[in-house]
Amino acid sequence: MGDEKILIIEDLHKYYGKHHILKGVNLQVDEGETVVVIGPSGSGKSTLLRCINLLVKPDRGRIIFDNEEITSGKIDVRKVREKIGFVFQHFNLFLHLTAIENVMLGLTKVKKYPEEKARKIAEEALLSVGITEELWGKYPAQLSGGQQQRVAIARAIAMEPKLLLFDEPTSALDPELIGEVLKVMEKLANEGRTMIVVTHEIGFALKTADRVVFIDDGRIVEEGKPEDVILNPRTERAKRFLSSIKELYRLE
Amino acid sequence: MGFIDEVAYLVSMYGSDLLNAMLLTLVIAFTGFTIGIILGLPASLGRIYGPKPLGAVIASYIELIRGTPMIVQLFLVYYALPIIGVKLDAFTSSIIAIGLNSAAYQAEYFRMAFGAVPREQWEAALSIGLSKWSALLNVIIPQGIRIVIPALTNESIYLLKYSSIAYFVTVPETVYVSKVIGAKTLLHIQIYSVTAVFYVLMTLILTTLARRLEEKISIPGLVVKGRV
Repeated sequence: MGDEKILIIEDLHKYYGKHHILKGVNLQVDEGETVVVIGPSGSGKSTLLRCINLLVKPDRGRIIFDNEEITSGKIDVRKVREKIGFVFQHFNLFLHLTAIENVMLGLTKVKKYPEEKARKIAEEALLSVGITEELWGKYPAQLSGGQQQRVAIARAIAMEPKLLLFDEPTSALDPELIGEVLKVMEKLANEGRTMIVVTHEIGFALKTADRVVFIDDGRIVEEGKPEDVILNPRTERAKRFLSSIKELYRLE
Repeated sequence: MGFIDEVAYLVSMYGSDLLNAMLLTLVIAFTGFTIGIILGLPASLGRIYGPKPLGAVIASYIELIRGTPMIVQLFLVYYALPIIGVKLDAFTSSIIAIGLNSAAYQAEYFRMAFGAVPREQWEAALSIGLSKWSALLNVIIPQGIRIVIPALTNESIYLLKYSSIAYFVTVPETVYVSKVIGAKTLLHIQIYSVTAVFYVLMTLILTTLARRLEEKISIPGLVVKGRV
């Protein structure tokens, strides 16, 4: 794991109207690191991810990505997004395109690769997430949730991003489909990809994360090694949140 | 002579006149509809995604067109434009008036269709690095087109019938020729029956074609069938 900082977030603020969603977030991510972000709903986790790839415009603070300040307003937003893969909670596959076309679109229209090269890269990406040939021609609605999410992951990694963002990637899945998606994410982490994962899957965090960040009410409340944050949280808020999640796990 | 014989007599006597008139009706409706798409689609994009002043101009145009009868619009094109030196024949005036009218309605249909494409599709398109226009072209428009077809089918049926307002500026289309034949032969009910059958048949053909097209480009899960 390199110690090169790929992402530096300084004092990030975001308002939605009167609501102060992010209240000064500071976060640094090393190249090759997997950071898991946990926290109650409404705490600003998704907003934080959306600020990083500029789907949401931060109101204050700085984000430095790949040695470039992307909050400066002078940058080409498209170039930044091209280098950041985003995996959505609800997959958000392009509904009018087949699995393989979903993966190819960015390659042909953004990277301007010729059709053949794009297809080859797309096939490799799909295979790497376990989507085999007979599914390539299927439309999103003909795939299971787990398959759709894996295609979405393939769509993200085919662009060879320097950073992968996952916004609750398993929250919309049936329980029996969660495993296949987590397995793919684990593999990506082991390949040394840089990932920020918002999730409630603390099992995944314990096993895969290099660092866990607990966000509450728009601030990072606690951060550290997964064992420390998840098993021995220091703050009262994190203790309460994690015990409720662990409770859920025991019941299952 | 019975009703059937009278109709047969009309068809045999005036068949080619009627056929020409019906052809003219189709040409007016089709051309008007095409002008409507050519202007309406960009107008909808301009209104939703363009700069505010452009959107305001387009919105005003739409309200103006929707707020006045098509016949008034036709009269303005045919009788008022010559005052400022633009003199168009009746046929051209009709096509232009119908096209400009349809553009306003089609712009609204397209606006609804693009608005019905889930916001998440935008986010996904932008997240892989597509520009706004590329996202529109590659994701939003292809999905919107599939949503808009039922509304455009409606519009084409509407235009097929309302192309008959060209009658008022003496274009020899179906209603005009029927009226002339009716006056000549006094077989009003008979000739208008023929006319009515023509319109119904054409409408049925349009509906069938539209359904075929819908099925052809339908994608599983994209649009709930039968919903606009």
